[in-house]
Order: sequence, then structure tokens, then C-alpha cells
Amino acid sequence: MLRIKKDMVHHHPPTDILTEHASGVLSVAQSACVAAHLSYCQRCRHTTERLEDIGGAQLERLDPVAVGESVLDRVLARLEDPEPLRYARSEASDTRLPGLLDRLINGDYADLVWKRVTQSLSISYLKTGDALHEFALYRIAEGGRIPEHTHGGSEMTLVLQGGFADESGEYHPGDFVIREGWDKHTPVALEGEECICLAVLDAPLRFTRLRHRWLNPLLKLRAG
Amino acid sequence: MTEKTNSGGTSPANVSAKWNVPTGRRTDEWSEALVLVGDSQDRAAFTRFFRHFAPLIKAFALSGSSLSAAHADELVQEVMLKVWQKAGGFNPEKAAASTWVYTIARNCRTDMFRRLQKFDTPLASDDFELESEEEESFVVLHTRRGSERVRELMGDLPPDQAQILGKVYMEGKSHSEAAAELDLPLGTVKSRVRLAIQKLQALMEA
Repeated sequence: MLRIKKDMVHHHPPTDILTEHASGVLSVAQSACVAAHLSYCQRCRHTTERLEDIGGAQLERLDPVAVGESVLDRVLARLEDPEPLRYARSEASDTRLPGLLDRLINGDYADLVWKRVTQSLSISYLKTGDALHEFALYRIAEGGRIPEHTHGGSEMTLVLQGGFADESGEYHPGDFVIREGWDKHTPVALEGEECICLAVLDAPLRFTRLRHRWLNPLLKLRAG
Repeated sequence: MTEKTNSGGTSPANVSAKWNVPTGRRTDEWSEALVLVGDSQDRAAFTRFFRHFAPLIKAFALSGSSLSAAHADELVQEVMLKVWQKAGGFNPEKAAASTWVYTIARNCRTDMFRRLQKFDTPLASDDFELESEEEESFVVLHTRRGSERVRELMGDLPPDQAQILGKVYMEGKSHSEAAAELDLPLGTVKSRVRLAIQKLQALMEA
């Protein structure tokens, strides 16, 4: 389990996102990003447990629908079936990473395919099967800057390593940020360590400054 | 360094009464059944649990009206098998039995939707579960009380807020899908959900 000091996480998902996560209606990519935040954040884990209690209470209040005896017989007959195999972390895996990211990354950051976008920014796209959202790791050299950009849609960001600062604050491992629409921002990685973030987008980022706009076609949304 | 006195397993009382923390709180019938299933693979307890929860899970499966009756029965089977397999990890101090079952049903339904839509993902809903951790007992206590308050309060919500929570939790609708179905602006749906949850939160913290 992650041993990150609780007080290091200052930026959390809003309650409506946690509610959609607890009720299982977020898309797989967004849900994975929220779940990864939970692995860093005890406060949001507790909130999520309370939000799941709403589901439990609602379940208790449904009008029961009769289930045939044959369904019980079939279940009883299958109790001794072997359990499905569960994914286990490899010895070499980075235990600072939430388990499900560890599974998607499946090795070391260095083993991923990184696409270099600017001198200080590389992106690696991970496959989640989500048809609407891109799920990618952003790697920013220490002190490196992502050129000013906007989003046509929503962007969830979770810091995994290092940190960055932008117009509205400073973000460290476990911090979760969601941006909607056309806010412009210019994140700069903190000094001292390379910054790695998970970003989930439903529209591509667009650089706003003339000298960076030629890069925009490179950033076509890669959902899936 | 002071020795930890509560290291567990040293006193015979701890061994025999794994979950009976002497707080005088009730343990309900369904939590007890789950603990019996988890500790001793008790088929009679499992059958009781099935008879109570299977019809609720079936109602849950049908409430979004997007699963057929046959798929609803299949979901009941999948959920109840997971209940059998995972009961050993159920901690009645941490979660109400109904909440625990709800999370399994929610995950199985998500996976079933994805299967039916031939959605190709390397992730199963179970991968989103957090690795278990030891929590300090005061946190656990706090957790259990919060859980009971949520259940008490659910009945007191105004109908419009209860209706939206039903859409989101039971029918598995996102806020924007719920807005479209109820012919309400998205902002109204979000604010009703937020109001309901604020009320629950205020009570949990009281």
C-alpha cells in the first residue's frame, strides 16, 4: 500500500465526480483516474465509502423481484469452482503506483513508448478501451513548461511523481485536478524531479500561442 | 520505543471474537451471515443470504431496464458467486452488508454491460478496488457510524432528490443521462444530487 503522508494530498475530485465513481457511471478511463487518486487519499476513500452506503441503502429499499429456485441451485453447484485468477504485482513493480495503473503500465516508465512533443514534454498513451477518453501519461522534465493550452472538453490530471505548478496552485503526488472547457493554463514542472502525471481527456489539448500551434495536429485525441 | 499492546492474536478473547469489538453496537443478521460464509464456508448462511439479497440484486439489474430477465438472472448468479468467494474479506466493522453487496453488484453490472457491448478493455471493475489496508480502529468506528446514519437518512430525503439518487445509483445513469430522461437541465440534476449528498454529509459529521 502506498505510504504517502496524508497531508501531502491537497487537491481532490469534486463530490459529484466521487458520486459518479461510487455509483459506477463514470467511463473506464475517468474511473481509473479517480480510483488512482483514492489510493493516495484516505479522506476521499472515506467519502467514497459513505457514497457507496447510499447505494447499499437504495438496494435495501428496492421492491424485490422473484428469483427462481433454479438460480440458487446453479449458484450452489458452482461454489466449488476455482476462483478466477487475480492480477498480482510483480516483484519489480513500482509500489508507489496504484495497483491498476501498475497493471496498465506493466513495468517501468522507461519501457513505455514515449512520444516527444516538445523539448520538455513527452506523452505515452495507455490503452483502457474507453472510446471517448484519452488516457495518457505526461512526462515533463524538471522545471519544464507545457506551453499555454486550453481544452475543448474536460481534463482530469493526477500527479504520480514530482509536481507542477500553474496559475491556480501547486500540485504534488496524489493531487487531482479537473479542468473544464476553455480555461487557459501553463503548467510548469517543479524543480528537483521529473514530473509524471496521468491525464484523462475527452478532447485534445490545444496550444494557444502562435509559435506552438503547429504542434496541435500531433495532439489529436487518442481514445481507446 | 513503546511496545504496541494491541498487536492482535495474543489474547484468546481476540481470537475467538474476531469482530466483536466491545462497543455494544448491534451486528445485523446479514453481516453475521457473511462472516459465517467467510470464516467457515457455511452453505446454510449463504443460502439465507441468497434468499434475501438475490431478489434485490435482480431488481437492481432490471431497474435500468437495459438488461433482459435472462441477463438479470445471470447477474444474480455472478454477484452471488463473488459474494461466496469474497466473503472472507468482508469486514462488518467497516461496511454494512448491503453496501458491500451493492459494490459487488455495481462492478458485475458494469462488467456485464461492457461484455454485452463487446467493449474491449484490459481492466475489470475489480481492478479498481483498493488493496486492503489496516485502518486504525477509531477510523473504523467512525466509518460504521457514518454508514448507519446514511441509511437512516435516506428515508427522509425529499422525493425529487431520492428520485435522482435512484437514477444514478440503481439505474446506473450518469448525471447527464438522468437529466435527459427526466427532461431537466443538467445543472438541476447536479444540484439535486449535491443537495442530497450535502444533507447526508452534514448528518455524518454531526
